[in-house]
Amino acid sequence: MMDTPGSQYKMELSPHVHSGITKDALMGKTFLAMCIPAIAAVFAMGTGALLHIALAVGTTLFCHVLISWLEARSPGKPSCPSLSSPLVAGMIVGLSMPIASPYPVTLGVAALTMIVFKWLQGRILGRKYLNPAAASKLVLLGGLTLAAGLGTGMLFYPGHLRLDLWTAAGFDRVVAFYETQSLSGVQSLVLWKTHGWIGGASGLAALIAGVGAVLWLKLKWRIVLSLLVAIGVLAILFGVVTGGSVVGRLAFHLFTGSVVFMGFFMATEPQSTPVTEGGQYAFGALLGLATFFLQQLNVLGGSILALVALNLLTPFLDRIGMRRSYGHGGGR
Amino acid sequence: MTRHRDQYLFREAGGFVVDATVKRGGEDIAFQIVPDPELCIVFLQQHAGAPNAALVRPGDEVVEGQKIGDSDETLGVPVHAPIAGVVRKIEDAYHPTAGGPAPAVFIERRDRAQPPVRLPAFDAGRLDELNAETLLAAVREAGVVGLGGAAFPTHVKLAMRRQAARLVINAKESDPNVACDVRLKREHAEEIVAGIQAMTRMLEPEEVVFATRAEPGAFADLEARLAKAGVDMAHIPPSYSVGSDKLLVKELFGLEVPCGAYPPDVGVVVHNVFTAYAVARALFAGEPLVSRGLTLISRATGPLNLWVKVGTPLRDVLRYAGLDPAGYNRLTIASMLMGQSVPDTDVPMLKATAGICAFGPDEPSPYDRPLPCIRCGYCNMVCPVGIYPVLIMEAETRGQTVRLRRLHAEDCIDCGLCSYVCPSAIKLTAPLRRAMAAVKRSEG
Repeated sequence: MMDTPGSQYKMELSPHVHSGITKDALMGKTFLAMCIPAIAAVFAMGTGALLHIALAVGTTLFCHVLISWLEARSPGKPSCPSLSSPLVAGMIVGLSMPIASPYPVTLGVAALTMIVFKWLQGRILGRKYLNPAAASKLVLLGGLTLAAGLGTGMLFYPGHLRLDLWTAAGFDRVVAFYETQSLSGVQSLVLWKTHGWIGGASGLAALIAGVGAVLWLKLKWRIVLSLLVAIGVLAILFGVVTGGSVVGRLAFHLFTGSVVFMGFFMATEPQSTPVTEGGQYAFGALLGLATFFLQQLNVLGGSILALVALNLLTPFLDRIGMRRSYGHGGGR
Repeated sequence: MTRHRDQYLFREAGGFVVDATVKRGGEDIAFQIVPDPELCIVFLQQHAGAPNAALVRPGDEVVEGQKIGDSDETLGVPVHAPIAGVVRKIEDAYHPTAGGPAPAVFIERRDRAQPPVRLPAFDAGRLDELNAETLLAAVREAGVVGLGGAAFPTHVKLAMRRQAARLVINAKESDPNVACDVRLKREHAEEIVAGIQAMTRMLEPEEVVFATRAEPGAFADLEARLAKAGVDMAHIPPSYSVGSDKLLVKELFGLEVPCGAYPPDVGVVVHNVFTAYAVARALFAGEPLVSRGLTLISRATGPLNLWVKVGTPLRDVLRYAGLDPAGYNRLTIASMLMGQSVPDTDVPMLKATAGICAFGPDEPSPYDRPLPCIRCGYCNMVCPVGIYPVLIMEAETRGQTVRLRRLHAEDCIDCGLCSYVCPSAIKLTAPLRRAMAAVKRSEG
């Protein structure tokens, strides 16, 4: 409100009307979009997936209530006045957990997400520089990895350390691992998985929900596009160079949850990603590059490490790739 | 006349929509003449340019149309008494555009038989016999300014003969709450076309374009007259931002006005359709600019087109519309996206006032409780000039003037779209204005 002594009416700067687009509406739509891969995951992975999701959402909601209670007893505005944000955070945590993860770990990631990387990060730094769910996973699962080794951390499936992604024969064995009675390895990778990230149980469901969310919510599509293109190009390249199945490579590298779910629903998290067009392309491409090579090194699910690293680069990426404005050879 | 709903949903960059449905049906409502007020408050300066000196003193009797303020400067435009009466005082009043006090002439109405002052009128049929200088002087003497909102002296823009190859009449009516331009096209087609012909005579452009969002056939009388006068019509999709002169020039001709320049620098002069009407009234009826049409919108009244004397206090306009000023807690004039709040109902109508909005207690400001920025980038997507409001806001908060210059904060056209689409209801116009000021200061 402007300071106009003696004013009878409320004085304020223009504009005086608003479109009605709200943060809660965006969060609500994001939650709805994520329900698609969540439902697919419950069908593919069973009630365990549902328990992980419910546990994560329940924990973030509980933490939200706790934070609200604490904030009500201290001066200043509440940092998160509605339930929409913790709901979405909980859903993201639930869907980004490996199905083999112990439930206490899911609970821990959800609590860390809300308290440290959403609430404290925003309060101390004034903005979320790191993706809360990714940073929490990195801290907890990365810690477990350091303590107990890569076999226990990240995926909770030691078998992935024996995968050989560098040769055609080794890669064929990886794809064969996903075969079921009715689906080939490639089909399973795309449609119906029982391993890995819950959100990627059905790569196709995550893809459909993600594309829908991009269109519906105007998400930062350049990040997703460049991420998928970078990984796709590398997959084709490796398929050609090693002489193996290019389709298999594409299915494996693009349709794991750590790519398709992470790409649409975590890498587009607005606060921790660039806003310039060029910055978004660079962010996605670098994320794709890092994720691909982490997969090659058997750090499956290590995309969160790449994501957090790229988050740290966001302030720099926001300085590149700016479009030209009107009057300088650009504009709409 | 029935119109397609999309006519009121203005498409913007990034796929966003500006909802202009509040003015739905406004074009079908005839202008109602608001009676002369008991007291007129006429600002001595109502244009962008040199300030005027008062030509009257307290106690003087004035007649409607009498010149009461003028300046010798090139950018000076006179003001005239909108009513007959006595000058009660000349003192500062709150000027809504300036956002602060400015000198005004307070005229108390005295009803008398004396006819209004009229300027020499020309014969519209013998326009070719008049030289441009005579017409320009008459336009200036009638106090005509740009009535689209900028209030730039019309005679100055019409004198750019060597520069302007194109004359554009902006009849897009892109403000979501202003319907009076459309109504004018329906009621005063003859004067509009006469005004355009006079403007053409003064400017001598190679091309004249009448830009409208109306579909072909919507204004049959006007379209026939324009065709007869050799004026091209450009039907542009409904859009709020393209109402801006610079963006309209790009939309029509693909020409970009360089940073710091104006449309005439790329050979285009843009005038509002209401200005064309005012030019016709000045030249062919000898009528100084002392009244204009505007649209009042409130929940109780819907859109109303009113014909109001310049200087009429807002209170009188609201009461004429049947609104109790005490029943409202936010009053704005001009566009609801770019206009100004007013502190009280003493604030008078200006030459360039095209709209009034009255918001009741059940319509609180949507920006009262902003949330932290989530960097969704919607502000960047919708920005019609392609700057990055969120980055500018961040740099302004940190006092990074060099970065503000790199981000071209000075190119902001203050359209308000960034705030309009912000999911966190942040009024980005505030940091953007500070950023523009910081850049200007840094450039000395």
